Amino acid sequence: MADAAAAVPGDPPASATVLDSLGEDITRIVYPVSACMLLVVLLVSLLSSPSSPSPLSASIAAATGGGDDIPTALFTALTFVVAVTAATFLLALLFYLRCTPCLRAYLGFSALAVLLVLGGQVALLLISRLRLPLDAVSFALLLPNAAGALALAALAPASVPIGLHQAALVAVAVLTAFWFTLLPEWTTWALLVAMAVYDLAAVLLPGGPLRVLLELAIERNEEIPALVYEARPVDPRHGRNWRLWREGRQPGADLDASSTTVEAIGEVLGRNLDANSGNSSSPQVHDAATPTANVNNSRPRATLWAALSSDSTVEHAGEASALQEHRVAVAEMRVPLIQPRPERSGEEEEDEDGIGLSSSGAIKLGLGDFIFYSVLVGRAAMYDYMTVYACYLAIIAGLGITLLLLAFFRKALPALPVSIALGIVFYVLTRTLLEEFVVQCSTNLLLF
Amino acid sequence: MEARVAGVPEDEESGLLPRQSAAGRRPSSRGPRFPPPPAVWATVDGPLGLPLEEAEGHARRFFLWGFACLPFLWAINCCHFWPVLRSPAASSPAAFGPIRPYVVRSAIGFTIFSFVLITWATTFIVGGERLFGPAWNDLVMYNVADKLGLSGFMG
Repeated sequence: MADAAAAVPGDPPASATVLDSLGEDITRIVYPVSACMLLVVLLVSLLSSPSSPSPLSASIAAATGGGDDIPTALFTALTFVVAVTAATFLLALLFYLRCTPCLRAYLGFSALAVLLVLGGQVALLLISRLRLPLDAVSFALLLPNAAGALALAALAPASVPIGLHQAALVAVAVLTAFWFTLLPEWTTWALLVAMAVYDLAAVLLPGGPLRVLLELAIERNEEIPALVYEARPVDPRHGRNWRLWREGRQPGADLDASSTTVEAIGEVLGRNLDANSGNSSSPQVHDAATPTANVNNSRPRATLWAALSSDSTVEHAGEASALQEHRVAVAEMRVPLIQPRPERSGEEEEDEDGIGLSSSGAIKLGLGDFIFYSVLVGRAAMYDYMTVYACYLAIIAGLGITLLLLAFFRKALPALPVSIALGIVFYVLTRTLLEEFVVQCSTNLLLF
Repeated sequence: MEARVAGVPEDEESGLLPRQSAAGRRPSSRGPRFPPPPAVWATVDGPLGLPLEEAEGHARRFFLWGFACLPFLWAINCCHFWPVLRSPAASSPAAFGPIRPYVVRSAIGFTIFSFVLITWATTFIVGGERLFGPAWNDLVMYNVADKLGLSGFMG
């Protein structure tokens, strides 16, 4: 039995090992994306009343003087993209200067602000709309508590159960996406297209901010400070704490001098990997980067805030500065890319360590992707559920295509363009063609 | 090829059980064999969660911070260290010893908090205006929100 058993993981061709858990990996990234979209659709259905525009869109319409038309939309979208680019370059600069405490503090502040302010607003809207007889004392007690706990869970993945950490990230994404769906219609669509194009440019062009950031992170073997959703690894042996445990329990181990810091493990793992598998350094170094400790995030929001506020009052008179601040907050939190799960070809050699050097077993998807997928579906929900189903399927198909490309190219890819493109195409097609067909069939009692 | 100890299951979860691995297969290994991983993990995440050494520090910190009017940290503590809570006191592994008091006290604290809160909320909802009189309308959240204009931003 030992022989037969040994033969199974002993000498698998690389494709068999990957295929064993590929379905599970994909499922573990599709579930949270679907959950996020579902929650946003629910919130939009419950809370939005298309007859009366929200004060936010009314204020934008008044400020820009035109109402909801295409030039305004394009202008707003362009402003947003410029803000996001500037923020990302600033993030890259700070990362370069190693100001990780600032980055971490900023990220904590923005996560807490989203959960407290936006979460509170959404909760109040729900309570008012559903007439839940909750009293003010309990609400005042529960809201800061829940916001604090979720913010902690989102920022310190090691201290809380993995499920809670992932749920907190999804909660942040849901709230931000809901806030975005309150924008006027053309603005939302223009924003989605602009962000898809920006994502494509930022990750793939040599000068793009995200590419710069990624290359910095790879060079230094550090994690990028950002809110990134990481799927649970399929094989529990590949968890990072397994490695930490191993290192901690063996003070006399030969891995490296006497250092037991995680960075040392990362470097040594990286070297071992390069020696063993001899592949290009990029995916393995990314893998080595993943076992480093918790994400350290923050940004000096105050200075950027002040700069943007002054810009906004000068350039776009009346554009709500709150809008700008929130945009900056969102912009700086998100990392719109998807990172690969490194290959497992060297697994059999390292297997006996139980370290799983060649794979962290996790697909990472930036929170910005969650947000913009949900914005698209939320906006589709404002029209009808038919468009919701069509756009949902289109987005999941786009995500699948992106994962396929990821497996093919093995480097960080932008996750927005394919899904947003498919989503918009399907939305337009559904609204123009499918709806007509379904309505005609239904009124003639043919189908549906 | 790996030689395995007979009887050890070969599935993905075999990492959870202590495995004897032959030395010398790692290219750079030239020392004693590594000891097997612990058979029990303190957190609900298992091998993906905290290592045992760090667990006590986390449990204590969550317990103490819970006193700063953040009882949800106690709840997180209980959920996170669920195996510690569930293992009966007599037969729990020695490693759980230092963690257990904090987790148990967090559980007690959270139970008390939720009991008080639920009692108050239920009294408020069920009692309604009969019990509180006109003060009920002043306390209920949607009226407070309207009065203070809290939800005006989103409409």
